[in-house]
Amino acid sequence: MEIDVRKEAQAVVMSLTGRMDAVAAPQFDRTAADLLAQGDRRIIIDFASLEYISSAGLQSILALAKQLEDSQGSVILSNLAGPVREVFDISGFSLIFPIYDRCEDALASL
Amino acid sequence: MSFFRVIMPATIDHLGDFIASLSRWLQQQGLAAEKIGRVQLAVEEALVNIFRYAYRGKPGEVEIRGGIVEDNRFVIEILDSGAPFNVCSLPQPDVKSGLRERKLGGLGVFLIRNMVDELVYRREGDRNVLTMIVAKSNGRFSSSRQKVRAGA
Repeated sequence: MEIDVRKEAQAVVMSLTGRMDAVAAPQFDRTAADLLAQGDRRIIIDFASLEYISSAGLQSILALAKQLEDSQGSVILSNLAGPVREVFDISGFSLIFPIYDRCEDALASL
Repeated sequence: MSFFRVIMPATIDHLGDFIASLSRWLQQQGLAAEKIGRVQLAVEEALVNIFRYAYRGKPGEVEIRGGIVEDNRFVIEILDSGAPFNVCSLPQPDVKSGLRERKLGGLGVFLIRNMVDELVYRREGDRNVLTMIVAKSNGRFSSSRQKVRAGA
């Protein structure tokens, strides 16, 4: 999996590419921990180029959201589609997070 | 009739090789890409459970077998020689709670159940055998069982 981090005025955008499996999830955890350490509190995760996610990936995202909730921050998701969207729907994760069709919409919501 | 079999050490660094080799075979047998993705998810969840818990820190192996029965049903078996563990006995996670109440963990087996048409656990000698069955050609969300029920 590749993680592209882009800092915008309103939030940080993490764009994920490839497969977020049990091997890749710790990489997400490290990047997220770096962002938290830098004081970032609003994080948009963009799934436009992510083709696969397993429970390890879901748990990493949930763990980040729980940490941010404790510090009045938030996680927003964009571009969820296909099999990745299906996993979010089945697991009920679609109910936990604000979800926008496009990354620009997520940014505009802040 | 084509069969698939691979045995590798039960460690997370082999996850990619397990998934890639099984996926190649499934593709050669004509399983649709979308269904291969579902099998990948189910198999990853089962493997990661084994990697983490089955051998309790000691080295061990995992075997994956694949076959096709009745021309239409893919049978995928995952075998380990670790501690007895019936995946099917785990309670359902709460998938409706909000962020604060959500617990980390417990989703893997739930996802497996949702990705395959049938899931059966058995202890065979000193091995755990988890059998997943996936129909080659049916609707996206209909399992073979539902099909039988609908026809009855």
